[in-house]
Amino acid sequence: MQPVLKVQALNKTFRIRSGIFKRRLLHVLNDISFCVAEGETLAIIGETGSGKSTLARVLAGAEIADSGQILLGSATIEDDGIRELSCRHIRLIFQDSNRSLNPGLTIGDILDDCLRFNTLLSAKQRLVKIKETLIKVGLLADHQEYYPHMFSGGQLQRIALARAIILDPKVLVLDEALSSLDPSVRAQIVNLLLKLQKESGLSFILITHHLSTVRHMSDQVMVMHKGKIVEYGDTEAIFNNPNSIITQRLLNY
Amino acid sequence: MQLLDIRNLTIELKTADSVIRAVDRINLSLKEGEVHALVGESGSGKSLIAKAIVGALNNRWTVTADRMHWQGVDLMRLSPEKRRKIVSKDIAMIYQEPSLCLDPTANIEDQIAESIPDEFLKDVSIFSRRSARKHRVIALLHKVGIRDHEKVMSSYPHELSEGICQKVMIAMAIARNPKLLIADEPTTALETTTRAQVFRLLKSLNQLKNMSVLMISHELEEIADWSHTMHVLYCGQMVEAGPTASLFNLPLHPYTQALVKSMPDFEQGITHKEALYALKGTIPPLAHLPIGCRLGPRCPQAQKACVVTPIVERSHGHAYACHFPLIKGK
Repeated sequence: MQPVLKVQALNKTFRIRSGIFKRRLLHVLNDISFCVAEGETLAIIGETGSGKSTLARVLAGAEIADSGQILLGSATIEDDGIRELSCRHIRLIFQDSNRSLNPGLTIGDILDDCLRFNTLLSAKQRLVKIKETLIKVGLLADHQEYYPHMFSGGQLQRIALARAIILDPKVLVLDEALSSLDPSVRAQIVNLLLKLQKESGLSFILITHHLSTVRHMSDQVMVMHKGKIVEYGDTEAIFNNPNSIITQRLLNY
Repeated sequence: MQLLDIRNLTIELKTADSVIRAVDRINLSLKEGEVHALVGESGSGKSLIAKAIVGALNNRWTVTADRMHWQGVDLMRLSPEKRRKIVSKDIAMIYQEPSLCLDPTANIEDQIAESIPDEFLKDVSIFSRRSARKHRVIALLHKVGIRDHEKVMSSYPHELSEGICQKVMIAMAIARNPKLLIADEPTTALETTTRAQVFRLLKSLNQLKNMSVLMISHELEEIADWSHTMHVLYCGQMVEAGPTASLFNLPLHPYTQALVKSMPDFEQGITHKEALYALKGTIPPLAHLPIGCRLGPRCPQAQKACVVTPIVERSHGHAYACHFPLIKGK
């Protein structure tokens, strides 16, 4: 199957200070390559500081990589640090939806902004699209008049999801998006994500600590440590016999 | 012997026009050397219970209980000073976000040294107390698994990682050799590998020192394999209580069943990417709690009788509060 997202030899370094005048280069991402097929889920696990979140931000375009390519379908969207800015097919969901939504705007306005800045739809078409998306994530069309503080944590995560899928992306990056939810609500969101994946062939990149979710949702797992890929393969194979010590330590807790 | 014995603990919050009952008649008893888990989602009042036990709630909350016995002494009837003395001697608590709970203006050595009581150093001559105290701090740090004590002792909380801060908090908590350690979601801020270390540490403290642990958590699977007994709470009501194994294998309450079923690991026979079992709806906010059984609006088995609060029933050490428990043939 043709992969929808292909990442080749991605590198990223940060300059951090190590003295008064000295600066040191910190390699956050080191030669990262992977690919995700349509309708599949890639889970990324690793300790803090292993570069998972940086990778998520690079994929979504919040950071620019130093070298390497990101290919989406057949188009190159990032090549050695030059980003195709009009790309809106990779979307990111953050951990804390409470803080990632603007408290001063209604849900309708938040979603409308996405469409206004990224598409050429007319006002009427945008309204239809917003209603459709809200219903798709299990909310009501009337919820667009509400402000973020009127919702509970699980509902806010649904709104964050609505904001991500309103532009019909191909890949969704979930950066710890399920971690802060309560178990019964998390099961709902997991079901919603699986349903969306089945219906529209979305691909997910799932970054989480929660191993049973990883095992349930993902087709492939990538284990990262200090910016490098330690292990990469099918979920069941890695969970059943992890090869490297780092993976074993992560899984046997 | 019963270490802690609480009957009908109710915690209420007075607002301008109504009284919100955040915790509704909870019974809890704890034996010596037992690991007891309080499981519930956010808003279930589990942290409130812990704070009510140590008496750390402020005046806006009214705490009432038929009895709250700590080793036979009723804590509710003591004067605040006496209660504080007992609690500070025997009960220790660790919190959710360790780096926020430590004093940012003092280094770790001073903070741990402060938590070592003077009685422990009584038989040391007054001139060598200072060094004796320092040795104790080092011993405590070694006990919680920090090897590099020199560096940790001289650093301030912001210089340390979250995992090490949590270990320092545990070191401060066990400095008095408490009989009961209340751990209020000690691992939510930590990652998997350090989480395992903290659990291992608490487990070994429980086994070696016979220290009871009251574990508060919102994840069922975290504590499933090492707690002896467990309370499941929902919106301040006790849903089900009993030995952990029987709660897992034979949940009687729809809510416990939903919690157990929503974990892909434990529910056997669920295929990859299949929809998980989930309750409808969301957790109601404290201001709009439903009457009767608070799970009512979300419960798949709810019937007309559920508008009345169910009475707690017991069978074989297993307590549950449901009108229509999941017993076959009933």
